[in-house]
Amino acid sequence: MDPRYDIPRRAAGGSGGSANSSPAMGAQSRRRKMPPRPADFKLQIIIIGSRGVGKTSLMERYTDDTFCEACKSTVGVDFKIKTVELRGRKIRLQIWDTAGQERFNSITSAYYRGAKGIVLVYDITKQETFEDLPKWMKMIDKYASEEAELLLVGNKLDCETDRIISRQQGERFASRISGMRFCEASAKDNFNVDEIFLKLVDDILSKMPLEITNKELSNSVLSLQPEPEVPPELPPPRMRCC
Amino acid sequence: MTPCTKLVCACLSGLEMDNDQQSKDSSDRFDLLSEDGKNRKSVVCQRCGSKVLCPGMAVFAEKELVLPSMRKKSNLSTTEGSADGDTLTAHWLVDDMYTFENVGFTKDVGRIKYLICADCEIGPIGWHCLDDKKSFYVALERVNHT
Repeated sequence: MDPRYDIPRRAAGGSGGSANSSPAMGAQSRRRKMPPRPADFKLQIIIIGSRGVGKTSLMERYTDDTFCEACKSTVGVDFKIKTVELRGRKIRLQIWDTAGQERFNSITSAYYRGAKGIVLVYDITKQETFEDLPKWMKMIDKYASEEAELLLVGNKLDCETDRIISRQQGERFASRISGMRFCEASAKDNFNVDEIFLKLVDDILSKMPLEITNKELSNSVLSLQPEPEVPPELPPPRMRCC
Repeated sequence: MTPCTKLVCACLSGLEMDNDQQSKDSSDRFDLLSEDGKNRKSVVCQRCGSKVLCPGMAVFAEKELVLPSMRKKSNLSTTEGSADGDTLTAHWLVDDMYTFENVGFTKDVGRIKYLICADCEIGPIGWHCLDDKKSFYVALERVNHT
């Protein structure tokens, strides 16, 4: 990456950057427009949950009938890179939406392994999607990192009249799992959708040591292939109980 | 115009045009390039404005690629010989997918992944071959510049 675009770690007397150190020249260089910086962090997020809960629509902002989404409908989306800014840091998220692979065992362990954040989605109007949650938790316990942040999302808030699962039920489920946060959302109304990712990233960042390099994070990056190399040893099964 | 500049113009326009049109388009298109051949402006989605690339994050590259049309129903799995494909030559090239601000990747079509808008999923706006892990192309014609 071009060193010009690195954030200077120290404000004064920095190497690289401007060679002028006098205050007058410093003020002038501050007025000059800073080039956009690359991301500070890269994080992997996966979205899991039963069929039809609306996982994919959490990721999509617009639907417009005048354009045919040829890519989406005929090939399918694999993953997305999205950028959020939080606590003055720019964070790149690599988000894997596991839509179409809702049979519990078909989502390969590789998806879970590298994920720093896991969004588990159910549909507030469909009982069975809520009853499926313990099965998803088994997968998380088996394959996900102990450090992964969990967020439970009750989706389809726009269908309040058809609600079957109360907010309290969702809160109670999440409270039984250490570190799991809860919220309700409506992808249709765009309610809480951005907050979901910000909340998750905030949790992840708050757990990180102050100084962390990209190099450490890049070791956990999944390759583009759905089946990356198997690591030397699997992480130990993680117990999640309060 | 020197022959070399004409060639660059032809690439930038991506279409066959007469000389007058080329001259007009070259002055429009050259302001997309910084001195070091990088994107001077942000690259954004044509439909929803989602930011794909920040300024200076990609280099201009000339490469002939066939991208299925964005605006018609087409079966992306069979692009060979498809009448719905466009041959595009002007691209922004990045070597690391984390350089993108926001972008989506389709599932594999053979050894190819197409790039789409991360927010509205329109596409393909770009192209990536799994055999070349350090090349991600975004077609100038498939995006807007602001």
